[in-house]
Parts: sequence; C-alpha cells; structure tokens
Amino acid sequence: MLRSIGISLLLAGANCIAPAQAASPNNPLGTGPEAVAAGHVIFNRTCTACHGTDGAEGERAPALVGDRRFFRLSENAIFDTIKNGILGTAMPALGLPDDDIWRIVVFIRAMRASASDVDVPGDAEHGAAVFSGKGGCLKCHMLLGQGGIIGPDLSNIGAQMTLQHLRESLTQARPIPIGYRPVKVVTRSGETVEGIAKNEDGFSIQILDFHDKLHLYDKSELRQIVHGTTSLMPRNYDQALTPGEYQDLAAMLGHQVTVKLHVKDQGEGEVGR
Amino acid sequence: MKRLALTLSLALASSLCAQVTDKQLELSPDSDWLHYNGGYSSQRHSGLDQIRLSNVGSLVSKWVYHVPGGGGLQSVPIVVDGVMYITQPNEIYALDGRSGRLIWQYHHILAKAPDREGPNRGVAVFEDKVYFTTTDSFLIALNTASGNVLWQSKIAEASEGYHSSAAPLVAKGKVMVGVIYGDRGLNGFLVAFDARTGERLWQFDSIPKPGEPGSESWVGDSWKHAGGATWLTGSYDPELNLLYWAIGNPSPDFNGDVREGDNLYTDSMVALGLNTGKMKWHFQFTPHDVMDWDGAEIPVLVDAPFDGKMRKLLVQADRNGFYYVLDRETGQFLHGSKLARQVNWATGLTAQGRPILVPGIEPSLKGTKVCPSSTGATNWMSPTYNPQTGLFYFVALEGCGLATKNTEKFRPGGFQYRAGGDVLLKDDTWKVYVRALELTTGKQVWEQERVGSGSLGGGLLSTAGGVIFSGELNGEFVALNAKTGQPVWHFNTGQPINSQPMTYMVDGKQYVGLTANSDVFGFALFEPEKALAK
Ligand code: HEC
Ligand code: HEC
Repeated sequence: MLRSIGISLLLAGANCIAPAQAASPNNPLGTGPEAVAAGHVIFNRTCTACHGTDGAEGERAPALVGDRRFFRLSENAIFDTIKNGILGTAMPALGLPDDDIWRIVVFIRAMRASASDVDVPGDAEHGAAVFSGKGGCLKCHMLLGQGGIIGPDLSNIGAQMTLQHLRESLTQARPIPIGYRPVKVVTRSGETVEGIAKNEDGFSIQILDFHDKLHLYDKSELRQIVHGTTSLMPRNYDQALTPGEYQDLAAMLGHQVTVKLHVKDQGEGEVGR
Repeated sequence: MKRLALTLSLALASSLCAQVTDKQLELSPDSDWLHYNGGYSSQRHSGLDQIRLSNVGSLVSKWVYHVPGGGGLQSVPIVVDGVMYITQPNEIYALDGRSGRLIWQYHHILAKAPDREGPNRGVAVFEDKVYFTTTDSFLIALNTASGNVLWQSKIAEASEGYHSSAAPLVAKGKVMVGVIYGDRGLNGFLVAFDARTGERLWQFDSIPKPGEPGSESWVGDSWKHAGGATWLTGSYDPELNLLYWAIGNPSPDFNGDVREGDNLYTDSMVALGLNTGKMKWHFQFTPHDVMDWDGAEIPVLVDAPFDGKMRKLLVQADRNGFYYVLDRETGQFLHGSKLARQVNWATGLTAQGRPILVPGIEPSLKGTKVCPSSTGATNWMSPTYNPQTGLFYFVALEGCGLATKNTEKFRPGGFQYRAGGDVLLKDDTWKVYVRALELTTGKQVWEQERVGSGSLGGGLLSTAGGVIFSGELNGEFVALNAKTGQPVWHFNTGQPINSQPMTYMVDGKQYVGLTANSDVFGFALFEPEKALAK
C-alpha cells in the first residue's frame, strides 16, 4: 500500500505549489474595502438574475461564492470570464466598463477568500514535512495520490476552504461532515466492523473500515449500530505541534491547490477560457 | 469511539482492500461485472441464472439512483464486490449495488473543455484502482474505496479538439484508452498506460504516416486530417496476447474525393500485440468509406467450430450492413453476409471480404438514397453471444438516408469536418429490431421489433438463465426469450435507454443493472417473504 511516503516526494509536491495566485498586473484599483463594496453593488445590480444575490447560487448559474469547488481562481481568469463570457454556456459578455469588472473581481475574491487567495504566512516546505512527519496526517489523508483514505483528500484544500475554516479544522470541534461519521456495527452473525459511514439511511449503511474495505449492509442484517460522536480528525494540532510547526502546516495547506497543477499539465498558463 | 482502539486499527491497515486481479479480469462475467462488455471476449454473456425464463416475470426494480444533472447516460455499470461504478462526463460515482445509495463521487475540474459534453461510457478496474477518461482527454485513476485521485495522465491535446469517452480496457497491468473525434478530422490512436503508475507505454496510430505500410492508401496530404477514432472499447485474447480494436470512419466523412484510396486503417479491425502496440493484422470492412460507417462496433471473440475445425473466431456486426466472421489469429476473412434487408450500396462481399460495390450509390451533390443510412444498420450498442444457444444477438436498424456531399474544409481546433451528411428517410420501413443470427453462417433465426423506437437505443445482455435483456429508446427495458425472441418481461423506465444492461450478484442475490437517461436502476426478483415481514 501507499502508507509509507518519503519526504522527497512531499518536497516535490511542495515544488509544484505556485504562489497563492498570480498577481494581476492589470488590476488598477487594488483590493481595498471601497473596491469590494463598489463591486458588491455592481454585482447585485448585474449578475443576480443568474448567480443569485451575493453570488450564492441562482437557478441558472453556479454559485460564485460559498461551499463549492471553483474553476476559476485568479483575478485574471475571473476578469476574463466577466469581460468575455464563457463560450458555449449561458454566461454572457455583459459589456461592463473594465473598471467595474475589476471591482466585481475584487468583490468575488473577497467573498471567497479561500485560503489559497490569501497570503498565509509560514514556510510551506517545512509544513509539508510536518504533514508527513510529526503531524501524521498521511495516515488518514491523501495528498496528490499518496496517503490514507479515511479522511478527505487534501490535495485541493487551499481552494476549498477559507483560512479560518482551515485553522478551525485543525483545532476546534466541528460538526462531523456527512460521509465521515465514525460507526461500529455488529452483524447478526456476530462480526464487528468499525469505520466511517460513507452513507446511511433508515434501511442500509455503507461503511469504509480502517483497512480500506467497503462493507455494504441492509440494516436487517445488523444486530447493533453504534455511532461515534467525535470525529476521527484530531482537533488539537495547535497544542500537539509547536507554534512554528502549526503555522508552517497552515501555510502548506493554504497553498495546496490542484486545479492549477492540472492546468499546468495541460500546458496552459492559467485557468480561464 | 475509543481513540486508542482506532490508532491500533490504523496501524494494522494493510492491503486487505478489495483487489481486482489479472486472473479475475480473465474470467467470464459471474458475480462481478468487471469490463464494459463483461469480459475480454466481449460476449456479454453472464453465468448467473438465478433470474431465468421461469421467474423473470417477477423481476422488479429494487432501487433507482438519480445522477445529479445527468442526461443521456451511456455508462455501463461495473461492479466489484457489490460496489457499482458509473460515470457521466467528468464525473464518477460509486454506489452500493444492493441499495443504490451513494458511497462516493468525484468531479474532475476542467480548465477549458466543456464539462457535460457526452457521452462517457464507463470505467475499468484493476487492483484497488478505478479508471475513467475525461472530456479534456485525461485518464484518471482513483482509489476504489474512497474516490481519491491517485494519478492522472494526459491522453491527447484537448486544445486540438481531442476528447476521450470510451470505457478503458485493462489487461496485464496496462490500461488502454482511445480518443475521438473522427468527424472533426482528428487522427485517432490508441494509448497504453501503466495501470499502476500512469506512465505512457505505447501508442498505435490509426492512420499510417508517409512511408509506413498502409500510407499508400491515402493520397497527398489527406492522411493529416484523416479520422480513425478509437471511440469504443476493444477486446482481448490473453492466450494470443492480442488486443482487438475497431477503428472509426475517415474524415471528411461524406466526401471521399479529397482522400482517394482505401484509407487504412479506418473502418477496420486491427489486432495489436499487448506488449508493444504493434499491429499483427488488420481487416478493413469498408474501404474508402463515404457514409460515416465507422467499423467501431464491438469485436466479439468466440471459439467455435468453423468448417468442421475449432477456430478462434472474431465476429462483428458492422454499421455498413454486413456481418463478418474472421479468424482472429490471422485476420483471415471466413464469412460475411447481409445483416439487414435494406443494403443497396454493395451486392455482397468477395472471397476476401471486400464489398462488391453498386456504382453510384454514394453521397452526391443533389442527394443519393443510400441504405443503410449513416446511422448504420447497427451501431455502438453492444451485441451479445450466448454459448448455450450458439446465437449472436444485435440491434439492427432498417433504414436509408438521402446522402449529399459538399466541399467543407478542415479547420484546426476540433470543428466538424464531415463535408456532407444524409437526411434520414424515416418512412414506414424505418424500424429497429433485436436480431439473432447463427454464429458462423450469419443466418437470421429470429427478430423482434422494438416497436415505437425511432432510433437504435441500447445494447444487449445475455444470461445463463436463457434471457436476453434489451433497453429500448422508448424507455422499455425488456427481457426476451433467447431461443425465440418472445418478450417475457418488460419495465417502463420512463426515459430513453441508451446504454447496455449488465448483471451481478451480491450476497447470493442476482441483480440486473442499467443506466437510463438520467438514472441508474437495479432490478432483482420479487421476494414475497421480505415484503411481508415487519
Ligand atoms: C444569463 C445568465 C448569467 C448572467 C447574467 C451572468 N452569468 Fe456568470 N455564469 C453563468 C453560467 C451559466 C455560468 C457557468 C458557465 C459554465 O458552465 O462554465 C457562469 C459562470 C460564471 C463564472 C465562472 C465560475 C467558475 O468558477 O468557473 C463567473 C466568474 C461568472 N459567471 C461571473 C459573472 C458575473 C460577475 C456576472 C455579472 C456581471 C455574471 N456572471 C452574469 C450565467 C450568467
Ligand atoms: C486519525 C485520522 C486523521 C488524522 C491523523 C488526521 N486527520 Fe484530518 N480528518 C480526518 C477525518 C476523518 C476528517 C473528516 C471528518 C471531519 O472533518 O471531522 C478530517 C478532516 C480534516 C480537514 C477538513 C477537510 C474537509 O474537507 O472538510 C482538514 C483540513 C484536515 N483533516 C487536516 C488534517 C491535517 C493537516 C492533519 C495532520 C496534522 C490531519 N488532518 C490528521 C482524519 C484524520
């Protein structure tokens, strides 16, 4: 299995990490609060018919902020989308002046503020070493195809979460997300299986055990089902690690974005049309 | 939960996870369904017989899974140990094969290519990995239990218009994947990747380059935008260690004037060595095709007596209206016969299997009636072979088209390059059938009309229970008596079926799985005891 992993690999992974986002040479307005507020107003005047108020999802277009994986991350890619539309989809070119487009871009990025959008301080390379070493994260998490599977794949975590959410994931109790609830069942034949419930309804349960094996049960086959109340995810990394290690780990996670790696594979400069 | 116990278990974690071995991949389908067409022979005949002629009348739908945003699904479910894998373009789902509940899903994020451009025909499996391809031409390997991406490898340049949609085939540690579009002047090829690492191993080019054997079949530069997509999954003979892949139509589809010659290896069956991708033999069904009749239909491998001698055969029902029997060791043509009533472009085949053309039956400026139409007398919907009846079953379309040609030019970037087309003549002879042929003679034993289907619909599944399963475009999922073709059961899925059924067993219970438009269905026998309990 892929349990043991050399530090060299992680360093290679770290080398693939680009700066949070390519800084735009073109944005003339900066990212200050006035630009964000102005962008907010223009957005809600122009884009809500499809994307919903504050970009929180409409009937006819994807959410631009909130809890989803974003395709377009950089200022330039978002600018290009709003300026030119997306060919072959309902996303139109709206003919706004460039300055207004930049205000909207700044607003969207401020609303998203995924960890990869902000400059998380710390030494990401050292963070990668903590991830695979002292942190023990690879036992449960996969990063770029290596590691365990009982926790979520973290290869694109920097684009999926705000920095605050990321920090809380490492330090505070949070509701256990669907698909990761610890569970232990005893079958009618007396076999015990422990793992996480990938899914469950009143009649069946799908369990991933700690040996990477799936078990599919009709509940009529089970004698007992015990749900765990705490996540398998340790929540004490601000204490288990030194402040320096914790900071570097957060920096490494914040920079962890695969969409860009994929784009690099395709030989293209940046996500966008 | 006790953290201590947990740490222990994690420390113990090893490779106990469900592993699909080479040996399993070589078996014909039984409890698991491991290949797009069931097994390497692509016979689509399952050994399961719990569901049989005597009880198929009590088959009921046990569950439905709605694929979010799904439509026109063509994915054939693959099942390993009760876990079912299905796809839509750029998305893969693992379902509980007993309940239809979602276990995990993965969405491949695209930078440029269109997200929902379909179809995607499904996955392949090996060891702890499941493989699928994307609209931006990547092969992705994911962990079967979690859906985590293990690696992804580029198949072709998406910016040139390439896209990959067929289910991959895995054999002896290699994953083979093809590309589309042959209708856009993109030259096809087949690539083998290392199934464990994703390393690119070899590539077979459908269109030979100048100087290579076969290049004499192209005039001038016509080979450069020549088509030959590899858009369906091939078959494999582990003993001969040969892959059989059917190659698509030449470009431009309808105007052959710019590409005089036979246009190898379009509309051909090629036999490739698994280790190197080198071609051992080829057989061309339609030399110099001008009707988009790509020979991409499924090669079905059968060992059977021919002229009193056991032979390793390859049979194919071709889009051009003929049924072919070849020797798969040598590629020798053994038999060919019409598989449809309406075939007007050729009177028959020569002793070498070359069509005997009827002059003038080809696309023209003002339009010519050509039968079959460009849709073909059959198409991608998988056929099946049942060793118990010795019959070959396929979906047939009787119909003609009014074919025209024009002088469209090739444009780079993945644009249509067809230079013509045909108007489908949907008069009252336009009909869809399931037909059963004698394996080696091609003689029709029975046919059953798909009443009310304006087009072909989905493919076929045969089981040891004596039943042929058949999904129709009008939404009916039908079971036919394999011997007579009589319908013995049907279920209205309420949406067009454009995919082939499969079957599997979990905990002693046989299921039939099917994707229909936007949903996945699991069927099994009605159990009165269970229904009454509680
Ligand atoms: C007519 C409906 C419509 C309007 C109006 C509209 N959009 Fe869109 N937008 C869409 C659709 C549909 C998509 C998704 C396109 C696709 O499938 O890639 C989209 C996609 C986008 C994306 C890319 C999202 C991503 O992560 O890839 C951005 C950014 C965007 N829109 C911004 C805007 C802004 C800003 C406005 C107002 C100036 C706006 N849109 C107005 C329909 C609309
Ligand atoms: C014992 C297994 C285990 C270990 C060790 C572990 N995690 Fe987790 N982690 C999980 C599980 C299970 C979840 C999902 C459940 C949850 O969020 O409560 C999770 C969730 C997370 C999340 C939130 C992901 C999301 O998409 O919501 C982050 C971030 C994370 N872990 C980071 C780490 C880091 C960094 C380490 C090492 C310092 C680590 N984890 C160590 C099991 C583990």
